[in-house]
Amino acid sequence: MGFLYPGALVFFALIPALVLAYLAKERPARVTVSSVLAFRALRGFRRERFGGWPRLDWMFFAEVFILSLAVLAMAGPFIWKKTAPLAVVIDNSAAMQALTPAGKSRFEVAREKLDAALSAEDGGSEISVYVTAPQPRRVAPPFNTLTEARIALSRIKPTDAPNDQTTLENFLGNLASEARVAKVIFAGAKALAAPVPARIHPIEVGDAVANAAIGSFSLRREALGAEALHASLSIANFSPDTRTLELVVTGDGKQIAHAREAIGARETATLEFPAIPPARIYEAKLAPDDALALDNVAYATAGSVKNVSILFVSPTPADAAGLNSIPGVEVTARTPDAYSPGDLGTFDLAIFEFAAPKEIPGVNTMLVMPPPGDPVFGLTVTPTAKVQIAGWRTTDTLTDSVNFRLLSLRGGEYFGTHPWMSQVVGGDGGAIVLKGERGAHRFVATGFNPFPYLGRRNLPMSVLTLNAISYLAGLGASSNGYRTGQPWLVPAGVERVILPSGSAVAADPGTLFTAVSEQGVYELVGPGGAKTPRAVNLADLTESDLSSSAPLKVEAANSGSAAAPLMEKSSLGDYILAVIIALTALEALIVYRRRRIAEAAAP
Amino acid sequence: MFGLPDEFTPGFLARLEKLRIRTRQRYGGLGRGMHLSPKRGSSLEFNDFRHYSPGDDFRYIDWGLYGRSDKLYIKLFHEEEDLLTYIFVDASASMAYPAGDRKFESAILTALALAYVALASGDRVMLRVLGGSGGKVNPSFVNGRHRIVELARRLHNLKPGGQFDFATSLATELLAIRRAGKVFIVSDFLMLLNSVTRGLGMFTAASMDLTAVQILGGRELNGQGLDGDVEVVDSESGERLRVSIGEGERTQYRETMLRLTREIKSFCLKRGLHYALYTTDQNFQNFFVRAVSDLGLAH
Repeated sequence: MGFLYPGALVFFALIPALVLAYLAKERPARVTVSSVLAFRALRGFRRERFGGWPRLDWMFFAEVFILSLAVLAMAGPFIWKKTAPLAVVIDNSAAMQALTPAGKSRFEVAREKLDAALSAEDGGSEISVYVTAPQPRRVAPPFNTLTEARIALSRIKPTDAPNDQTTLENFLGNLASEARVAKVIFAGAKALAAPVPARIHPIEVGDAVANAAIGSFSLRREALGAEALHASLSIANFSPDTRTLELVVTGDGKQIAHAREAIGARETATLEFPAIPPARIYEAKLAPDDALALDNVAYATAGSVKNVSILFVSPTPADAAGLNSIPGVEVTARTPDAYSPGDLGTFDLAIFEFAAPKEIPGVNTMLVMPPPGDPVFGLTVTPTAKVQIAGWRTTDTLTDSVNFRLLSLRGGEYFGTHPWMSQVVGGDGGAIVLKGERGAHRFVATGFNPFPYLGRRNLPMSVLTLNAISYLAGLGASSNGYRTGQPWLVPAGVERVILPSGSAVAADPGTLFTAVSEQGVYELVGPGGAKTPRAVNLADLTESDLSSSAPLKVEAANSGSAAAPLMEKSSLGDYILAVIIALTALEALIVYRRRRIAEAAAP
Repeated sequence: MFGLPDEFTPGFLARLEKLRIRTRQRYGGLGRGMHLSPKRGSSLEFNDFRHYSPGDDFRYIDWGLYGRSDKLYIKLFHEEEDLLTYIFVDASASMAYPAGDRKFESAILTALALAYVALASGDRVMLRVLGGSGGKVNPSFVNGRHRIVELARRLHNLKPGGQFDFATSLATELLAIRRAGKVFIVSDFLMLLNSVTRGLGMFTAASMDLTAVQILGGRELNGQGLDGDVEVVDSESGERLRVSIGEGERTQYRETMLRLTREIKSFCLKRGLHYALYTTDQNFQNFFVRAVSDLGLAH
């Protein structure tokens, strides 16, 4: 036995002092009486005392014992115990929902095999249970018994999110390297590539299963203001034979598109539907049914219908008129003199044209041709008579669908290198468009003024402006949509999110929303109950490939060493505390009973 | 009032003056008084006849008897004398405890009240103190009600203290007083019953008419002020006892005290003695007026 804090044993020295104080307190009072004649009859009741003075009944010793135990508990006593902590990892990714030929899902098979594996363990050591998707995590603090671990396993359900292969490999590697873990049991669909670390005991449930899947479902508007949308879907055939797949697209429950396509073995095809009628929610369904029903369905939405409120601060407020023409945008114009930072509280985003705020705004902000020498953002500004675009990021949300070759700009300014804003569009003399994030808010700076050119007069300018507003408002500009397991930023004005399962989760604008394990349509609820749908799909053909998945390459620091029992400090503090509580309760009970008896005996 | 304790109000004194000491025997006195004496004298109480002798006052010849017996007989009458009253006050150390109960002060009040009754009746009073310190009380008879002030002054300076053997001390006193009469013993009688009965028994053997007045403290009788673990010290012997006192023990203590008083009372009644118990938590005047009979007094 040892002590974590042996210094606390010093307090044992206090016990004799407390005993002496107790004895002094218990010393009987001396009273002179006329005669002790009548007191002699009481001698039978006299309590004998050790040394003639103090009363040393069992309660006194019990209290000294409790005090000693308290000092002992302060010292943190422990004993060394042999232990072999066990880590149980179950793959709960979307692929585990696939049905095996026996009719059970991979996840059910994995759980049964894990249960059998746990039965072979001797128990006595702590057991940690982990899941892998959307991110590897422990489901609860370590369990002390196999029964508790089995109960925890029985409560785990597979998610619609895929595994992150690299993260999972690193996680298993770290777990196998950890000194406190003697054995890792991993049950999943993916095999472990050789050499498998000695501490990892894999249970593979990933028998090859033929599967067809929808890889992506995206919508885009071909032209600004066009009502019809262009739908694009990729479908894959992960089977050894050519299969004819049928795809049905419905909009708000009505069938609006249909396609049949023969796809070769392990091939992927893209289906285009150039003009599908507007609908709130689109659903694509692949037939025939197969082992994994999850990836036979995909959802898409037409985009944001939420009104975005913008505070437009400019010496020429009339420029806001162009913005007002965009559907779903509400603009409040104000001159720089009338602006105060407190105004920002009621707006989703702010636009400063030819002006700059005196402090970093508390909302997402766009700076249009900011004046030179601004100390808040520290932009280096070089005015130019003719802005010439030289390059742009092709994958950026701001440049999505912008035809820069048709974008003509007149006077403007170039930006120099900025500490925290990066270049999106560049010109001969420097950056023309910058974007960056600061204090959980997004910022965009443009070296030209797009507002006079909005509308059909300059379509690329309009698309660029809409992209910028969508980016700043946190609305979906991603053509690829949202994927299960990938958190997204809560857009401005959203108060709660209704999950596909129907349960509602409170949301805080500007923060990441992480309850994204389900595939389906999430409803973003804003003020007044206005709902904005957001489609979240598995959209991961790697996960859908149930016939040939890449094995996990797990590397552990001690991959060669077998599991060895560990010596672990087992604290005795809890037991001592339990004894203290029990003794104190017992003493209180006895004192209470004695008092009741005395009260009953009193005349 | 006039050097008397506060309890001796004019009203109380007036009530005391209506009382007189009652004795079960006739005792000779030292002068004329209101009590019948065994001596023959000139009172109206008939005593005996004797043959007439020349020179006898023929006013006392019983002419009726002469007519029946044809012989001359002289009627003899009892003499009426004063009563010799002895008042013993216990001034041992035990009378000082418990301090708050004022036992000794109550004993002095009782002695003075008894003395005043005797003096107001024309009897002679001798005050004798058992133990004590702080002053000498002259053991001599006094008569006349005005002498009560003198007695009060003598007792005022007395302090309780010391220890004595009750029986031995009373035997010594008995030898000293020589003449029989009425005896009052005012004490707490917190001593062995054997000592009490031997002491009181000696007075009855000496044909004394005795009244025992037991003075106990109110708190003393109920065991108040004692709680928990207590070491009690005897005020006279210094004996120590360690006791734990709770409600149950306090009840038993009180029952023991009451049993001791009952045993003393029982002894007194069996021997034809008067017995009265005064606890200091009572009003003294009320006690004295109500306990007239127990004190051996009469209206």
